[in-house]
Amino acid sequence: MLELAKRAVEAARAAGADYADARYVREETESLTVRNQEMEGIDRTSSEGLGVRVLVGGRWGFAATSRLSEAEVEGTAALAAEIARAAARLPGDPVRLVEVEPATAHWHSPMRTDPFHVPLEEKVALLVEATRRMQQVQGLTFAEAMLDLFRRRIVFASSEGAAIDQTITHAGGGIEATAVGDGEVQRRSFPNSFRGHLAAAGWEHIEKLGLVEEAERIATEAVELLRAKDCPSEVTTLVLDSAQLALQIHESIGHAVELDRVLGMEEAYAGSSFLRPEDRGTLRYASELVSITADATLPGGLGSFAYDDEGAPAQRVPVIVDGVFHSFLSSRETAAAIGEPGSNATMRADGWWSLPLIRMTNVSIEPREGTLADIIGDTRDGIFMATNRSWSIDDKRVNFQFGCEIAWRIERGKLTEMYRNPNYAGITTEFWRSCDAVGGREDWTLWGTPNCGKGQPPQTARVGHGAAPARFRNVQVGVR
Amino acid sequence: MPGLIGRDAFERVAAAALELPGVDGVEVLFMHEWGGLTRFASSRIHQSTWREDTALRVRVVRGGRIGVAASNAFSPEGARAAAESAREMASVVSPDPLFPGLAPPAPVPEHDGFDEAVAGASPELRARGVADLVAQLPAGCAAAGAFETTAVEVGVANTEGQVCWAPTTQASLTTVVTGPDGGSGFAEVFGRRLEAVDPAAIGRRAADKAVRSASPRPIEPGEYEVVLEPNAVSTLVGFLAYIGFGGRALVEGRSCLSGKEGQRVADPRITIYDDALSPETIGLPFDFEGTPRRRVDLIRGGVFLDGVYDRRTAKQAGKESTGHALPPPNPEGPFPLNLFMAPGDAGLEEMVAATRHGLLVTRFHYSNIVNPIESSITGMTRDGTWLIEDGEVRHPVVNLRFTQSILEALSAVSMVGRDTELASEFFFSASRVPALKIDRFRFTSRSDH
Repeated sequence: MLELAKRAVEAARAAGADYADARYVREETESLTVRNQEMEGIDRTSSEGLGVRVLVGGRWGFAATSRLSEAEVEGTAALAAEIARAAARLPGDPVRLVEVEPATAHWHSPMRTDPFHVPLEEKVALLVEATRRMQQVQGLTFAEAMLDLFRRRIVFASSEGAAIDQTITHAGGGIEATAVGDGEVQRRSFPNSFRGHLAAAGWEHIEKLGLVEEAERIATEAVELLRAKDCPSEVTTLVLDSAQLALQIHESIGHAVELDRVLGMEEAYAGSSFLRPEDRGTLRYASELVSITADATLPGGLGSFAYDDEGAPAQRVPVIVDGVFHSFLSSRETAAAIGEPGSNATMRADGWWSLPLIRMTNVSIEPREGTLADIIGDTRDGIFMATNRSWSIDDKRVNFQFGCEIAWRIERGKLTEMYRNPNYAGITTEFWRSCDAVGGREDWTLWGTPNCGKGQPPQTARVGHGAAPARFRNVQVGVR
Repeated sequence: MPGLIGRDAFERVAAAALELPGVDGVEVLFMHEWGGLTRFASSRIHQSTWREDTALRVRVVRGGRIGVAASNAFSPEGARAAAESAREMASVVSPDPLFPGLAPPAPVPEHDGFDEAVAGASPELRARGVADLVAQLPAGCAAAGAFETTAVEVGVANTEGQVCWAPTTQASLTTVVTGPDGGSGFAEVFGRRLEAVDPAAIGRRAADKAVRSASPRPIEPGEYEVVLEPNAVSTLVGFLAYIGFGGRALVEGRSCLSGKEGQRVADPRITIYDDALSPETIGLPFDFEGTPRRRVDLIRGGVFLDGVYDRRTAKQAGKESTGHALPPPNPEGPFPLNLFMAPGDAGLEEMVAATRHGLLVTRFHYSNIVNPIESSITGMTRDGTWLIEDGEVRHPVVNLRFTQSILEALSAVSMVGRDTELASEFFFSASRVPALKIDRFRFTSRSDH
């Protein structure tokens, strides 16, 4: 397939491209969902194709096809050049790219047991048993368990001489318990909501999730939530579990520091960012306890790779250092636009059919010290919330509101009353500046967010977030 | 540009799957999609793309057990390989007691949803449209957005003898114009035909809003009267569909409308229905398991009638499929993709004139569910929000967050607009709705812009 990608690059150059790259991608997926011990859905997909990206006269063009004959690929490359020429109808500065050393490489994400080779019977049995355990809890209405596997091979060639072949496998799963009664519906999920916990790993990751072992606890909490009071409306101290903190990082830091968003390239869709290029090194984003790193070299993250989709090598980037904003997530084009010497390698497409965009890698909070129990034990009065249920943030990443599945009152360092339908709202920098506790390595988890939307046409990326429990002061909870 | 693969070629490829031995039934869903999107920001084209793909999704039934496999290899070999993979999966799962069988042969309504001008639109045509839009902007304004032209042909064939095929197209132009002093304006046009897209008109409309929304002032969150333009109304209707109208959630008691059939759930001025066959929307004349589509009245005169069903949830509920299946395996169940809210008789100006102390809202942004059983959602205003006092638009306001039950909002409607607009959701999905005046709408916090 490398030869086909190189052929596309040559055809693009022949059609007038000053720069060209081509990506052949083959993606395979397997998905299983069991509900109340019966199979709800089992499916496999496979898709392959090739996308060609070109610069002609400083304008981008991109075209992609699933037809992989040499003639079709050459025609697609020529079409990409035609698209780039059409873009010149509007004036504007030509695109410039920072330098990237062209790489020749072959890489696989690490795993011990290929999840695609595990017999289907074993997968089904795991999910059926997890739902059976949940169903043993009286009052539970629906017990669901699911597995998702992804494998993507990306073969990249560029007119600068890059030739990269990498294969990345993601695997994960989860359980969901739903209780329905008295006009109320409550759900608990484990290890995380929205189909569980995915990682760049093999079957060994799924075996360690504890889907069967935690089933009874999760089902019990779902049933108990039916009888719980609604989360009270107040301004209080808020402790978040690591999974919810991961999504808080995702929405109010990860997206905000994408440099294409800062430069207005996403204005018409999910919006721009409150950040400006001159905020680097000066803006106090968060309290000094908060350091955020974007690290594509972390083993096991959904945002881990060897090279991004521009052929730039994976990097570890300080985003926020001791509370002060430090670096954007950038590409070859956007780095050049603000005078940075290099891209920090965050360009990824969600398939052969898509143009690469700046995407989060593994955007994580650096652990400090203590466990969740320590943080709760150190809190005199407040609310503890766990497991995301919903999220919303404005078009500059300023005003946010999140819902969680479950909450408890914290009184004198102990969890007391359970609350249902908890949510909280805030302003990004005010919220992060109020952070006065971040947990340590022992409660830090590299979570995955498998459904990150961006771009037009819309793309869905799988990104990673390492997070520990954390505490925030003076937060509005119970918004109604 | 590629052309249609066509019904005959689809049937020839599908046959390789339908002839799979050792199974009780096979269904093949085929999609062939192509098109381009010209994306612009800061009044220049920055991302411009084109793609073509085929997809075959094969569902195999074996002893009541179901397996599904998909491939984008459009060939007899690709179809057969997907069918064999689906058969393997069907062999390891337990039977589905609710499986209703594959769709029986049934005639599909005539459908005229394909526009050659959209299917053949060139990058140059889209770039020209963007240039026409940008040419409308006054000094100091800049436009971002996307001009997309897409064509798709969809076919369903199964071993019961049902075969259906239809092509359709979709053209859309969306823009956000930003102006001096924090002004921002939105406009969108969306339809099945290229002639519906008037880039200059879209540019003028968004630019006008951007100019008029400059220097927004902060106001206190709280309960306000609102005049919602159609795009904002489409958010309410779209989320109500997601959490309310699906047959599976209704049957299982998880819908905000479960058990409310025949009850008043909205103001009598509110009528909502789904109709993929209307020429005023995009859509296909059959669903993704081959059942012909038909109009379904969901809320009529404020009274909830019923939801939508695919074959499996119809069996669960003891009803007939309404032709709203999504592609298998789809654990979420059926969904209404072509929603309409019936228009009333009020103009937007009349709604503003009837508002004592309220807000005029262009659209909502990044909305999400707060509590599905209460139909409550949250989201932000965006791209043009103004304070109305004593029947007149006074000044733009800083964006606000709402947290609001949809059914409570629809119960507080006092005026319904006479004009409707089609708002896009995702491919195959759209809502055609009017503006609404709602007497009570809850804003819970404020942003800084």
